[in-house]
Amino acid sequence: MSKVLILVKKELQFYGNSAVAYVVGLMFLLISSVYLFNIRQFVAQDQASLRAYFSIFPFLFSFIIPALTMRTWAEEQRNGTLEVLLTLPFKEIQLVLGKFLALVVLFGGLLVLTLPVPIMVSFLGHFDFGVIAGEYLGMFLLGMAEIALGIYISSLSKNQVVAFLLTTAIALVLTLIDQIGRFTELPGFVVLLLQYLSFGYHSESFIKGIVDSRDLVFFLTITAFFLFLNERQLVLKKWR
Amino acid sequence: MIEVLQLSKHYQGVPAVSDVDFCINKGEIVGLLGPNGAGKTTIMKMLTGFHFPSSGTVSIDSLDISEHSDSIKDKIGYLPENAPLYPELTVEEYLSFIAEVRLKDKKTNSGLDKKQAIIKVVKDCSLEEVYYKTIDTLSKGFRQRVGLAQAILHEPDILILDEPTTGLDPNQILEIRKLIVELGKRCTIILSTHILQEVEAVCTRVLILNHGRIVAQGSTQEIGNELRGAQIFELILPLESEKLIALLQKEIADLAISNQESTYGTALVYSLSLKKHSDTQTWAFQKRLFELAVKSNVPILGLRQINTSLEDVFTSLTSKQENKDE
Repeated sequence: MSKVLILVKKELQFYGNSAVAYVVGLMFLLISSVYLFNIRQFVAQDQASLRAYFSIFPFLFSFIIPALTMRTWAEEQRNGTLEVLLTLPFKEIQLVLGKFLALVVLFGGLLVLTLPVPIMVSFLGHFDFGVIAGEYLGMFLLGMAEIALGIYISSLSKNQVVAFLLTTAIALVLTLIDQIGRFTELPGFVVLLLQYLSFGYHSESFIKGIVDSRDLVFFLTITAFFLFLNERQLVLKKWR
Repeated sequence: MIEVLQLSKHYQGVPAVSDVDFCINKGEIVGLLGPNGAGKTTIMKMLTGFHFPSSGTVSIDSLDISEHSDSIKDKIGYLPENAPLYPELTVEEYLSFIAEVRLKDKKTNSGLDKKQAIIKVVKDCSLEEVYYKTIDTLSKGFRQRVGLAQAILHEPDILILDEPTTGLDPNQILEIRKLIVELGKRCTIILSTHILQEVEAVCTRVLILNHGRIVAQGSTQEIGNELRGAQIFELILPLESEKLIALLQKEIADLAISNQESTYGTALVYSLSLKKHSDTQTWAFQKRLFELAVKSNVPILGLRQINTSLEDVFTSLTSKQENKDE
């Protein structure tokens, strides 16, 4: 078993034994369903589309992903277990990947738990499952990018609450930043820049069920970028 | 085996360790002794490669730690201060995580695989009864032992233990010390402590640290003799009594005389330290002192025998350095 997988296993054991993941998952499923069926009145809308369901995901991710990532390094630093971890025969990048993949698995599991919604409603009309698959892919990529962001922020602080709030703030800003261009008179290139940086803007096509390679590359780049920063941060700690 | 040269570490400009040199040979059990904040933990963090030095070098088996930290990690077992653990995992989950990382397609020096190594370490650290419990629910003593189990599981060549017995009750302390001595037969051990008895009980050599510097070092016996074997007298003489001091130095072997800082205006206070072998020798010294005083016609204004405990000498050693620094 590769060293990365050993760490993934240990991390998942942690989430299995602790309440965090269950509570976060419960909140996510509850709020997203209430939003779809109650606030957006899915049944009354009479449309064979789950766009309304997925449109709330980017906003909810800004809260639930930081809740999952906040402890990643912050707790290790506070407990002193980082000292054990960094003196075990791991390379820094293996540690980062292990932590990241464990959360991706957990997050993937959370998305799987939303499957009953499309399955249930599929009996009510003719849904395009290609669109739904595209929507899931987009949400998965967005989640990956935010996990990478979240664990990086967690490596900067010993305090979980700080890590949570900071990640939430950054994720929210990145999700909504393209909206500024919609209701203000900004020069064209600024609007384009804001759109380019926005998690929300890059999720839009996915939410419509369109898989655009530009959005795909954007999320993968963001993920790789923060994982790289995270690895550098761990190395930097040794020199401090 | 372990060579430390001109080692210094600053945390945001504040020096934690300054210009430390030492060398540790294979099979030694070395104690780092010093008050809290003396730099023991910092030195250990640098030996394990958790922190890199600000200047100076640490090399283990002639490999520099900041360049070869990966291969050095395999040789070292490390118990950090307060034995940090994951409270949410069970002892079983934690030890198998460590075993999988440490002994991934590899065996220990004595040829044990992952499972056998865990069985052995659980037995050595007496963890049988808590093996399936969450670490959260364990007492301090068990946590410390789980931490130690983590450090020795892969039978490392070098074992670094940061205050391995803090927070344990006297029986547990004895058990852990016994285990350390046992482990010392097959690996090099560096342990830090601020308890003097601990050093005497387990170490072959001692480094005494204060304010990030080594203030004394030597074998446990040397340091022990130096610390306890000497009988200290406080001798008060009038001014201009150099004649007697010179005589004393000439006539009595094994006597060190230092002029103490404090003087009472018209008198001088000397501190005499006599290497002590027996009480009769002390009495003989006192007799000889009076004879010499009479001979040189210097009145003795006061003579006090000072009983030094290990703690006193340790305090004097570490506070002397402070005065020098200031």
